[in-house]
Amino acid sequence: MSAPEGWNPRIVVFACNWCSYAGADTAGVSRIQHQPHFRMIRVMCSGRIQPGFVLRAFEKGADGVLVSGCHIGDCHYLFGNERAVEQFEKTRAVTRILGLEDERLRLEWISAAEGARFAQVIDQFTERVRALGPSPLAREAR
Amino acid sequence: MDAGRHPLIDVVTNAQVVACSGEPGAFRVRVRKRPRYVREDRCVACGLCVEACPQVGGNEFDMGIKARKAIYRPFPQSVPATYVVDPDACLNFLNFLTPKQRDRLERIRAIKARKDPAYRTDFLVCGHCVSACEVQAIDFDMQPEETDLEVGAILVATGFQEFDARSLRTYGYGRLPNVVTSLELERMLNASGVTQGHVVRPSDLRTPRRILFVQCVGARGEGGRPYCSRFCCMNAVKDSLLIRQHDPAVEEVTILYTDMRAFGKGFDDFVERARSEESAIFLRGRPATIRHDPTDDTLEVFVEDTLAHEPRRIRVDLVVLSVAAAPNEGAVELARMLGIETDAYGFIARRDPAVSAVETCREGIFVAGSAVGPQVIPDSVAQASAAAARAARFLSAERVTLDPEPPPPLDLSGPPRIGVLVCHCGINIAGLLDVSNLVDHAAAQPGVVAAVDDAFACSSTGQETLARLVAEHRLNRVVVAACTPRTHEPIFRETLARLGFNPYLLEMVNIRDQCSWVHAHHPTEAQEKARALLRMGIARAGHLEPLEEGRAPVTRSALVIGGGIAGIQAATDLAEQGFPVTLVERSSELGGRLAAPRLWHLYPTDRPAVEVLARKVERLRASGARILTDTEVTGIVGCVGSFQATLQGAVTEILPVGAIILAFGADLADPAGAYGHGRLSNVITSEDLERAFFEGGPRVEGKPLRSAAFVLCVGSRDPEGFSGCSRYCCPTAVKQALALARQGVDCTVFYRDMRTVSSGAEEMYREARGAGVLFVRVPSGSHAQVLGETRAERVRCRDELLDRVIEVPADLVVLSVGMRARQPETARFHDILKITVGLDGFFLERHPELAPVETAVEGVFLAGTVQGPKDIVDSVAQASAAAAKASVLLAHDQVRLDPAVSVVDPDRCRGCGQCVEICQFHAPALKEIEPGTWVAEVNPSLCKGCGTCASWCPSGAITARHFTNRQVEAMVDALFAEASP
Repeated sequence: MSAPEGWNPRIVVFACNWCSYAGADTAGVSRIQHQPHFRMIRVMCSGRIQPGFVLRAFEKGADGVLVSGCHIGDCHYLFGNERAVEQFEKTRAVTRILGLEDERLRLEWISAAEGARFAQVIDQFTERVRALGPSPLAREAR
Repeated sequence: MDAGRHPLIDVVTNAQVVACSGEPGAFRVRVRKRPRYVREDRCVACGLCVEACPQVGGNEFDMGIKARKAIYRPFPQSVPATYVVDPDACLNFLNFLTPKQRDRLERIRAIKARKDPAYRTDFLVCGHCVSACEVQAIDFDMQPEETDLEVGAILVATGFQEFDARSLRTYGYGRLPNVVTSLELERMLNASGVTQGHVVRPSDLRTPRRILFVQCVGARGEGGRPYCSRFCCMNAVKDSLLIRQHDPAVEEVTILYTDMRAFGKGFDDFVERARSEESAIFLRGRPATIRHDPTDDTLEVFVEDTLAHEPRRIRVDLVVLSVAAAPNEGAVELARMLGIETDAYGFIARRDPAVSAVETCREGIFVAGSAVGPQVIPDSVAQASAAAARAARFLSAERVTLDPEPPPPLDLSGPPRIGVLVCHCGINIAGLLDVSNLVDHAAAQPGVVAAVDDAFACSSTGQETLARLVAEHRLNRVVVAACTPRTHEPIFRETLARLGFNPYLLEMVNIRDQCSWVHAHHPTEAQEKARALLRMGIARAGHLEPLEEGRAPVTRSALVIGGGIAGIQAATDLAEQGFPVTLVERSSELGGRLAAPRLWHLYPTDRPAVEVLARKVERLRASGARILTDTEVTGIVGCVGSFQATLQGAVTEILPVGAIILAFGADLADPAGAYGHGRLSNVITSEDLERAFFEGGPRVEGKPLRSAAFVLCVGSRDPEGFSGCSRYCCPTAVKQALALARQGVDCTVFYRDMRTVSSGAEEMYREARGAGVLFVRVPSGSHAQVLGETRAERVRCRDELLDRVIEVPADLVVLSVGMRARQPETARFHDILKITVGLDGFFLERHPELAPVETAVEGVFLAGTVQGPKDIVDSVAQASAAAAKASVLLAHDQVRLDPAVSVVDPDRCRGCGQCVEICQFHAPALKEIEPGTWVAEVNPSLCKGCGTCASWCPSGAITARHFTNRQVEAMVDALFAEASP
C-alpha cells in the first residue's frame, strides 16, 4: 500500500543511556544531520525495553520502532543487552501475530562513539519504514 | 568528565609546572597558567564564537588533518568545556604580521594616541568572536597567571609523544603522500573525528582499497630506541577489524610485524578473531623500502616475508606507520624541577622497575601511565589507581568528607505543579527552533503552571531563573528543555538539591544535541519533534516520584585474602592509610611465589627475590596490619560495607569488614606429560629451575650443564586449554637463559612470539642474543620435539625464520609453564561471593579499561593474578590499585545508595526466582517470609538500576524506580497525543 503524499513515518526509538543515547548525542556534537521523524525514549539499559513498551508504541500509532543498546560484550550492566535480545524476540513474535511487517521493528547496537552510525541507522530505518507506508495498526489508531 | 565534576578535584588546564620546592607531605608547586582568553566562569560552550571567527588555525588534536578556527574547543569532550584562543592564529594578536610591520603599527598607534587622548590603542583588529559571544566570556586582557599549590604528594602522568617518523627516511613519512601514522589513522577512524570514522587516502580523500600497517616504527631497535612500544600490535589489529567492518570498499589490510605481542588479558583471542575473520593478513617482515608511483599515488612496499622466505612487492593505497611512544619533550625538564630522575631514553625513571610501577626516585612523587615508557590502557589505569593509593599515605591526615549540610526539604506534595524552562543556548537552539512557540506549547500541557525561556539555562542567571520559578509557583516538578541530560542533568539536579527540591523530580528534554544540532535542514520537522519531546518530558515529569538517597553503614576495615606479593602490597597500602586490615594466608608463611626457594632473581634488575620480599614483609609488619597465617576464609556473607567473613584455622572467628580484596594468586600449568615431562628425568619446569638456582645452579648427574633448551608457551596460547598469554614466561625464560649463558651453558629458546614487553625486558632479550643464546621461532601449530629415551638428549624443531630444522643438544629441558586460575579457590569464591568468572577461568574485572580491579560485586576487588596472568611489577601495581579503590569505600562511615533502583512488590511476587537468575549483580534474592512462601527482595546496596529485572518479571512485581512502566508509557502516549497550540 502506498503512502499518501507528504506523509512522514512516526518512529519511536528506545535507547539505553550509556551507548545508544550517547551515540545520538555524539551525532549532535559532530552535527551529523539525519532524518527528524523519530522520537527518542531513554532508559538506563536496553534490558529495560520490555515488549509492552514497544507494543504500546505501535498501538498508539508508531509506524516503526527501533530498539537500541550497547554492542554485545560492551553492556554497562554486563549482559543486559543479551536480555534485550530475548525480549526483542518475544516482541517480534507478537508483532507478527498483529500482522506487522518485520521491518517495522528493528534492533541495533550503537556505541557512544558511533554518532555517524547512529545517523546512518536512523536514515536507513526511516527510509525503510517510509517505503512500507503507514502501519496497519497506526491507521486504526488515528 | 567524572574528574572534571568531582568536588575534590581542581582541574588546571593550559598550564605547566615551573618550580617545585618543599618535601614529601609538604610540597610547594608553582604553576603557570597560560591565558585562554576565554573566561571559564562565563563560557557556556555554545560555539557561537567559532562560527563568527574568520581565521583558521592548525589542529593538534586531529593531527593537522582538519583545520580548526583560531578560537576553538580542543575536542568535543574536553574538560573544561571552555573554548580557547590560539594566539598564533588569532588576528587580534597580530602574530601574522612580520616584526617590521608590527613595529610600524605600534609607532602609528603611539602617534595617534599622542594627538588624540581618546584614541584607544587596545582596539581589536578583528573581535568578531567578542561581539558574537552572548555571555561576555571573551577577554583579550587575560594575562599568564602563576599560582603556588601546596600539596602532600605529586603524581606525574604526562604520557608520551609520538615518535617522529620523519627521522626514518625508509618509510617516507612526510615525503610520500599516502603514508600516515597510526595516530592520524585513529583520528580518521574515530566516529567524531575528521572523516567521521572513514579511512581515506590523504592525496585524494578516496577510500583506499589496500592498506598496509608497518609495526615497530621507532621501536625495538629502530631510530635508536630498543624498547617495545607495547600497544601497537593490538592497536593495528583493532584498527584492521574496525576498517573492515566499516568500509567494505577496503579489500585488504596487511600488517607487517616482527612478533605479535598480544600479551594482555583476552588479547590473543582478539588476534585470533582477526585471523579467522580474515580482517588482516599477517606478514612477518620489515619494509626495505617504500616507493611512490606518481601516476596514481599508490605505494609499492618491498619487504621480505621472513616466514615464507620470499621477497614481496605489495602495492597499496595507504601505508600506516605504527609509531612508537617516545618520551615527552618536557619530561627531562619536569623531572629536573621535581628532583626525580629520567632513564636513558628520557622517560621518568622508576625507583625499582622490578617491583614498583609507580614510585619515582623521590619519596612522595609518583608516576603512572606512559610517562615511564609505553603502557596499554588497562595497565595505565591500574597504575594510576596504584599511584593514588601510595600518594594517600602522604595525605591521610587531611582526608576530607564530602557531605555538606543539606537544606530542609521543600514540601512537594500534592498534584503535579510543573514548571518548564526552555533554553535558547544562544543560537544553538533558538537559531533553528521557535522557542516562544515551545514555551506556549509547554504552558498548554496539563499540570504545567509556569513556562519560561532563558538564553542559557545552565549559566548562573539561568540557574537563578530556575530557583525563582520554583519559589514563585511552588513547583513540585521541573522540566528543562535544553541539551543532553548526560552532561547537564547533574548541574540542574545540584541547583535543585540546594533549594531542598528533590532532584529526582527533574526531567530534561534534549532539544539541542538530538534536535536542533542534527535537523538543521528540516526546521519544520525539527520544531514538531521538539514539541513532541517537550510533551513527552512533561508527561513523564507528571509521574516522577521523589526518591531519597539511602545510606548503608560501612565497617571501615578490609580483608585481604592471600599473602603473596599482591596481598602483601594491598594490605600494606591500606594499613599505612590507617585502615584496620586483616591479611589471611592459608599456608604458614607469607610471600607466595616470591618465597624461597621458588624464585631466585627478578628481571630486569637481577635482585634476589627473597631480599625484595623481606623488605615488603618488613614494611607490612610495620604498617600495623593484622597478619593471620595458617588461616582460611571459609565463608562470606553480607554486602558492600558490611561483610562478615568466617575465618578458620590458627584463628577461628567471624570478622566484620567493609571491603574485600582477593589476592590468592594463580596456579602454574601442569605440563601433563608434554615434552616428556615426568618421563624424562631432565625435563623440568621453569619453577624447578628457579629452585635449582638456590642449590647452586642446575646440574646433570652431578656435573655442570653444557647445554639447555627452553620451551615457551607450555600451557599458554593453547586453543585446547588456556588460550591466553601468560605474560611472565618470555621475560622469565630470557632471564634464565641469560643467567645460564653467563656460566658458559649453550642455551636455545624455542618460542612462538617473543613477548618481552615489560620494562627493561626487550633490552634483556637483546643482551641474551648478544650473549649467544639461540632463539628458534616455532612455526604456528607445530611444537618442538624432545628426543631421548630415559632422559632428554636433544631438542629438534623447524626454525620458521631460517626455514630449516634445528637440532640442539640439551642436558636440560626447561618448560616455561603458563598460569591458570587457581583451583579450587576460584570456583569456591565464585560460589561464595558470586564474582563472575571469565571464559579464561580467571575472575572477570568490571571493565578492562575503566575498572580493572573492581568486580561486578560492589566492595570486592581483585589484586594480582586472580584476575589473569601478570608479572610481579604488574601484580604489585594492581594490588595498590585495589587498595586505592577499597580506601575510597572505607573513607566514609556510610555508603550512599542510588535510590533509582528496582523494588519488589511482595504481594505480587510469586517467588519464581527469575530475577535472581538474570541479575549479574546478585541484587535480588529470595526470602522466605512465612513457611513455604518465598518472595524476591532487591538489595539496594547491590542493585545498579538497569531495570532489566522489572522488564523480565513475569508477574510484573518489580518496579524500576525512575524508569517505571507508567513513566515510560506516559511518554509514548504523549508522543502521539494530538498537538495543541
